[in-house]
Amino acid sequence: MVFSRALAVLLVAAAVAPLVLPPFFLQLLTEIAIIGLFATAFNLLMGFGGMVSFGHAAYFALGAYTAALLVKKAGWPVLLALPVTPVVAAAGALLFGFFIVRLSHTYFAMLSLAFGQIVYTVIFKWKGLTGGDDGLLDVWPPAALKSPAAYYYFALGVVGLAMWALAAIVDSPFGYALKAVRENPRRARFIGINVRRHQLVAFVISGAFSGLAGGLFAFYNGSVFPDFAYFTKSFEPLVVALLGGVQSFGGPLAGAFAFKVLEWLISRQWPVYWPLFLGSVVIVVIVVLPQGFVGLLGRRGWARPGQS
Amino acid sequence: MGAAGPELATPGDLVLQTVGLRKHFGGVTAVNGVDLAVPAGDLRAIIGPNGAGKTTFFNLVTGDLAHDSGHVYLAGADVSGLPPHQLARRGLGRTFQITSIFRRLSVLENVQTALLSHHRRHYNALAAARRLYRDEAMGLLERVGLSGQAAKPSGIMSHGDQRRLEMAIALASAPRVLLLDEPTAGMAPRERLELMGLVAGIARDTGLTVVFTEHDMDVVFATAKRITVLHQGAVLAEGAPAEVRANLDVQRVYLGQPVGDEAPARGAR
Repeated sequence: MVFSRALAVLLVAAAVAPLVLPPFFLQLLTEIAIIGLFATAFNLLMGFGGMVSFGHAAYFALGAYTAALLVKKAGWPVLLALPVTPVVAAAGALLFGFFIVRLSHTYFAMLSLAFGQIVYTVIFKWKGLTGGDDGLLDVWPPAALKSPAAYYYFALGVVGLAMWALAAIVDSPFGYALKAVRENPRRARFIGINVRRHQLVAFVISGAFSGLAGGLFAFYNGSVFPDFAYFTKSFEPLVVALLGGVQSFGGPLAGAFAFKVLEWLISRQWPVYWPLFLGSVVIVVIVVLPQGFVGLLGRRGWARPGQS
Repeated sequence: MGAAGPELATPGDLVLQTVGLRKHFGGVTAVNGVDLAVPAGDLRAIIGPNGAGKTTFFNLVTGDLAHDSGHVYLAGADVSGLPPHQLARRGLGRTFQITSIFRRLSVLENVQTALLSHHRRHYNALAAARRLYRDEAMGLLERVGLSGQAAKPSGIMSHGDQRRLEMAIALASAPRVLLLDEPTAGMAPRERLELMGLVAGIARDTGLTVVFTEHDMDVVFATAKRITVLHQGAVLAEGAPAEVRANLDVQRVYLGQPVGDEAPARGAR
């Protein structure tokens, strides 16, 4: 199996990375893993459910702020606070998703964007709780997890478990039915699927894992800011998923790798030109490689559309 | 209103019944009080000239369109106004005039997904779906003659094979009644008779009740047990194929041509 061999190589490389790479690159890899999880959660909706959200930063931010507030204001330990992040994000996704899945296509995207901006505004304005524009600082994990290598292993472990769960969901009966809804909602109804409810459940799952990514990012970053919920942040998983390939499960993770490495390479030399470069790359990928970078791996195996 | 009088009380063996079903679009009355009674095991054709209201009638029965008045009964239960997914759960299966399958899923996955939903496993997010109901799905594909193409992406199959697949998807829900909206649209004449022969065979073997619309009179007279003729949104005639063929009203609405005159009489089942 192409998939399991690639996975094995990836795991071994990830495990030995701290032995050979300086801290900076471990931090880069940590961020890649977290953004990869965020984009994979986002792509459960876009790639497998056919729903494009323009407001997923909301659930990422709900996770990040939940983590920061529990640790800073309630004095919870990190290991207890982190499991709460997907729960709060899922609750937000359930509340907003209830309205969002009633619409399709452009209207779905616009309403998700609107709810995202509401979350941003609340965070920005509620100074007493969230610190407003100043954010919440000093949200560090305990000493044992604070070194780049330790947090790298920790984040990788959590992301690995989450990715495994998402992969299982995609291959489950729920995932099959979700793909059926994407392919043909009308036909899906006539095999007995409640299309709206199925989309809502997918939306909540996607929101939950986005929140977990947000929680991991809060402790990685050591601080949280309202920008986490801003709509520009919502385009990050979209761009990352498009780069890697929305039609395969591994695409968004590959896209996160490409995105972060390119960002580092370009921004280091010409920080001003990074957005221009990114835009050009996205255009080229969409036109030349509609299946994203994983499309380069060939049509069979893990890159095959509709499969994983 | 055309509401149910006492003489239309639902006998238990009617699988599908409509009473006074009515729908207008603005000033146009597309379906004007249709009473239809389909007993178990029937193989019923609904025919009529273009604009007779066949497709609208179908969409009212299947919940795709909301009707203005009247009732739909499925196996004796009033199902008027239920959404499609609930009708499907209560045993109403359908295929569409324009082939409706899950194009980017494999042929096998198409049928497996329908089976997963039928067995109410579609919220299970933990099991490996690939291994579930595989044999059952292969059995259905065998039945419609597609078992050799199970691994193919369904969207690249020929038009006729996609229609067969849609039949297998509909059968996977184990419907009480299967509604086929122009099942042979876009097929060559020979393929049409083959496909409807397949449908008739399945209906005979399983006792499935089938209601279908069809333009090709050869197919209708070779397949249907009974025929209902719609004209201007209402039932013009109903009966066995020979009765309908002899009906003067029916001949008149089909522009004076004797209906199905080229259909071989021996073809009727």
